[in-house]
Amino acid sequence: MAHTGLVLPNSGHNRDAEANKFGMWLFLFTELLLFGGLFIVYMVYRMLNHEAFLLSSFELNVVLGTVNTTVLLVSSMTIAMSVSAIQMGQAKRSALLLWITFALAGVFLVIKYFEWSAKIHHGLFPGMDYYNNLPAGERLFFFLYYVMTGLHALHIIIGMVIIVFAIRQTNNGTLTAEKHSLTENAGLYWHLVDLIWIYLFPLFYLIH
Amino acid sequence: MAQSHDQHQDNHHDGQHHAVPYSEHVRTLVALLFLTAITVVVSVFGAALSTLSVFTALFIATVKVVVVAYYFMHLKYEKKIYSGLVLLVGVLFVALSVLTALEYLNR
Repeated sequence: MAHTGLVLPNSGHNRDAEANKFGMWLFLFTELLLFGGLFIVYMVYRMLNHEAFLLSSFELNVVLGTVNTTVLLVSSMTIAMSVSAIQMGQAKRSALLLWITFALAGVFLVIKYFEWSAKIHHGLFPGMDYYNNLPAGERLFFFLYYVMTGLHALHIIIGMVIIVFAIRQTNNGTLTAEKHSLTENAGLYWHLVDLIWIYLFPLFYLIH
Repeated sequence: MAQSHDQHQDNHHDGQHHAVPYSEHVRTLVALLFLTAITVVVSVFGAALSTLSVFTALFIATVKVVVVAYYFMHLKYEKKIYSGLVLLVGVLFVALSVLTALEYLNR
């Protein structure tokens, strides 16, 4: 395409940190309503199958659930600190804190893996024998458990990918004290993942 | 306090951000872990009070969510519109839940 010589007043490399952040928040609202719909499904089925849900919730490991809650809360703090660090111009420290967040996300997934595989080992997964012979209400509980914690785990994995991008851009100097929307948005996304777990944990593990 | 808030608003116009001190993040985490401990204790040792524990657990979870949003997600330092929108989405979700629950209870 030939260069016309016409330069529009706004045709540079535009950057609007406020718009970046606002867009991220709007996206987070759609995420909240996605999980909100699932929470309403959970509420209705819980009302219809009160006893079965109580009984099934005892099958989940409260200790592992509590450990994972703690891991996520600590990771939320480390990524919040990482945002503070980049704002203060401490890029190295910011990248280190992102790595710690990434590692904690990994710990969460490993614990989740052991929880799921212990259930699956006993045939407690949709389509397996033990699951198929459960009463309808208990099947529902575990179906929702797998769908909701599974979707949450997917969000953890996506969050880890975003964190890796933020680490790379911090290390090569793209993200700086003046320009760090990616770190900030990675933080917002990560906190959302934490928020959802804050409700998932009592609803599945604790409410007996 | 009001003065520091104004100062912060000015910083925003320059594209600069107020960096939240590390100590505030640590205090936030301690508060969140404390609330988690209460939920677990209420649930494990208060199992006989089933209705009470449901509402207590959800109430504490909501307090934790507010703490995360206010401190970690910087709502404390953001323009009011962010908190307003979060509140709006929250009210919308609660309204939908209550309507659904009422429909079920009046069957």
